[in-house]
Amino acid sequence: MLGKLTLDAIPLSQPIPLIAAAVVGLVLLGVIAWTVIAGHFPYLWREWITSVDHKRIGVMYCILALVMLIRGFSDAILMRSHMLFAYKAPGYLPPEHYDQIFSAHGVVMIFFGAMPFMIGLMNFAVPLQLGVRDVAFPTLNSVSFWLTASGALLVNVSLVVGEFARTGWWPAPPLSEATYSPGVGVDYYIWAIQISGIGTLLSGVNLVTTILKVRAPGMSYLRMPMFCWTALASNLLIVAAFPILTATLAMLALDRYLGFHFFTDSQGGNSMMFMNLFWAWGHPEVYILALPAYGVFSEVISTFSGKPLFAYRSMVMATMAIFILSFMVWLHHFFTMGPGGDVNGVFAITSMIIAVPTGVKIFDWLFTMYGGRIRFHTSMLWSLGFMLTFVVGGATGVLLAIPPADFVLHNSMFLVAHFHNVMVSAVLFGAFAGYAYWFPKAFGFRLDEWWGKVAFWFGISGFVVVFGAFYILGLLGMTRRMQHYDVADWRPWILIAGFGVVLMLVGVVAQVVQLVVSIRRRESLRDETGDPWDGRALEWATASPPPVFNFAAMPQVHGEEAYWTIKAAAREQLSLRNEPDYAPIEMPINNPTGVVCAFFATLIGFAMIWHIWWLAVLGFLGAFATFVVFAWRDKAEYEIPASEVQRINRANRTTRLEALQGVGRRRAA
Amino acid sequence: MSAADQAAERSKRHRADVAPGEAYPEEDIAKGIRGYLIGLGLAVLLTACSFAVVRMNFIWAPAIPVAVIVFAIAQMGVHLVFFLHITTGPDNTNNVLALAFGVLFVVLLIGGSVWIMANMNHNMMHSPAPAPSHAHH
Repeated sequence: MLGKLTLDAIPLSQPIPLIAAAVVGLVLLGVIAWTVIAGHFPYLWREWITSVDHKRIGVMYCILALVMLIRGFSDAILMRSHMLFAYKAPGYLPPEHYDQIFSAHGVVMIFFGAMPFMIGLMNFAVPLQLGVRDVAFPTLNSVSFWLTASGALLVNVSLVVGEFARTGWWPAPPLSEATYSPGVGVDYYIWAIQISGIGTLLSGVNLVTTILKVRAPGMSYLRMPMFCWTALASNLLIVAAFPILTATLAMLALDRYLGFHFFTDSQGGNSMMFMNLFWAWGHPEVYILALPAYGVFSEVISTFSGKPLFAYRSMVMATMAIFILSFMVWLHHFFTMGPGGDVNGVFAITSMIIAVPTGVKIFDWLFTMYGGRIRFHTSMLWSLGFMLTFVVGGATGVLLAIPPADFVLHNSMFLVAHFHNVMVSAVLFGAFAGYAYWFPKAFGFRLDEWWGKVAFWFGISGFVVVFGAFYILGLLGMTRRMQHYDVADWRPWILIAGFGVVLMLVGVVAQVVQLVVSIRRRESLRDETGDPWDGRALEWATASPPPVFNFAAMPQVHGEEAYWTIKAAAREQLSLRNEPDYAPIEMPINNPTGVVCAFFATLIGFAMIWHIWWLAVLGFLGAFATFVVFAWRDKAEYEIPASEVQRINRANRTTRLEALQGVGRRRAA
Repeated sequence: MSAADQAAERSKRHRADVAPGEAYPEEDIAKGIRGYLIGLGLAVLLTACSFAVVRMNFIWAPAIPVAVIVFAIAQMGVHLVFFLHITTGPDNTNNVLALAFGVLFVVLLIGGSVWIMANMNHNMMHSPAPAPSHAHH
């Protein structure tokens, strides 16, 4: 009846995951109980859970990402603190648990921390920057988000029910085959990633369609803000690469469930093929995450330098060059696996070439700052921190792209330092920069600057200390994923890395405190005009938070930096644009299709993990029924009357006019 | 820009930028059906030809695979033109680019994988039935 699921699945003998899960569970239950008792649930259901508004879905993606980043960071704390006690000693985490933690750390950070954060920022900002009302397929967007959340839920359920994969963040066969991993850990991995992967793919389709097909009049490709270009490249990569991951994990699932031999190394199977296919997705994935972050930096650096982005077209070219090249470098993840010198040589050269367009971007950002009047806002600090640390990560990447050097450094702590160096400084710093930059747009008030700067300085110094120590440990010969060690030379560097994690923890706490402090002080941090940073793209042309329809009238775009052009004219004449002719606006109706689909998807995933076949069938029928009900809906849109549009827009025009008159008075004085 | 101009520009943009599957407002249905029927006819003809060259021995046996490949490529062309409506018109840039993009990445992935795995099998002597080494001399 319940497949493999018995009471033994709950790891009563392992106190650490159980206590961690109990705390998480209690907090979650507490939050749910509080929302229900305080009567907030109907509001949450109506306005957020069932929302098809791209801004709200973007915000929910970012909240999911923040929560999961903390989960992934607590895994990191466990690993680093364990290593403090593992010198000539077994440490406090048994090997089979330590294996699960480093696997979960990678999976959580990449799939449920970095990915939702980047997709959330794109979801929120791209339609606003393009000057449109929503993404191309609003309900599909909600389905994407909830499927991602469903995958995250399954990963967290593995803490309490069963176990997680012990294979590392890529489940490499033959270790991940049923022979060597008979437990449910790899199955949790497979179904969590399959379900969230479908969500990501749908989101990619949605955003590509939006950017190619839904833009404000006059917004030609070469007038799109840089963030939209990097979002386009990133989502095209999602559409091209995620099916490879889905197919590869489906083959692994067939091996495990039905005795197939794709990757078994016997009866014609080949485990190397898994590596090949996994990294054919895995390397584009690096750029799926990094490209939107490059877009955030472009927006932030240009805004806070008070200058247009330097050499916009070269930036577009560099983005699209990275997009193509990112599909030609995947072998550098397994130089040591046995391909010959000619194959390694070709992929070594492509891997080095990809550093060129990235270098172009660095120079473009530097020249954007050159001669500008720079304001050191938190998001600008993250951008500067990125540029300084990222060039080190890029340089060690070019070093690792040389096969002979890679043979020495492969799977060492040097490699671990390299990929954290690039992923943290590009993706995480980009996420934090975007968070500080667009927060007032999303919520109508700015984040507290002082706590933001504390978070930045502790975050970046902890990051440098931890991964600086890792580079040295790698050069001293330490390999990754060691559960204990007895080399005296490594000891001081491991202690230093442990100290670095404490610095990072202060940064994380400061980030949380910043949010709490900002919410409490929101009245004094209020963004009245909708343009708190003197911005240049269209998202700043509307109120903060924007009305559900984003723009009262579709903006007409007459050049690059659409909003800057409008604003410059307004400042010259000290008056706003003429008021548009207000017309009623049709917007999609919120509906629970996404969350209901994800509920059934979670059932399918859980049932497949535990071999509860009837439940899987039930989940599939439920998901299909949800689709049918949605497809046969009678009414898809509702109308916002012109008078309402006028009222909302006039309120924003009033504050903008006041701000403009303030400029006029200062000029006169 | 007046409202009329805006509407004109929007409809112009609309015509030049039609999503896949979206119908042209002015296209007449009979013409559309004729296109599909021609496509169907060509597709059936090419399929029949493929079977014919395999089943009946009216061409030289070693040339049969080549002939089948030629028919297969022609079949793809027919599908692209008559069913997926890939044309060279300015309204079709997105579709052509999407096709080029798909072909590029499929070629990179499949070509790359075959090359890498063949090279690796050769180096690692993994192949279950290794070719006799003197074959290369």
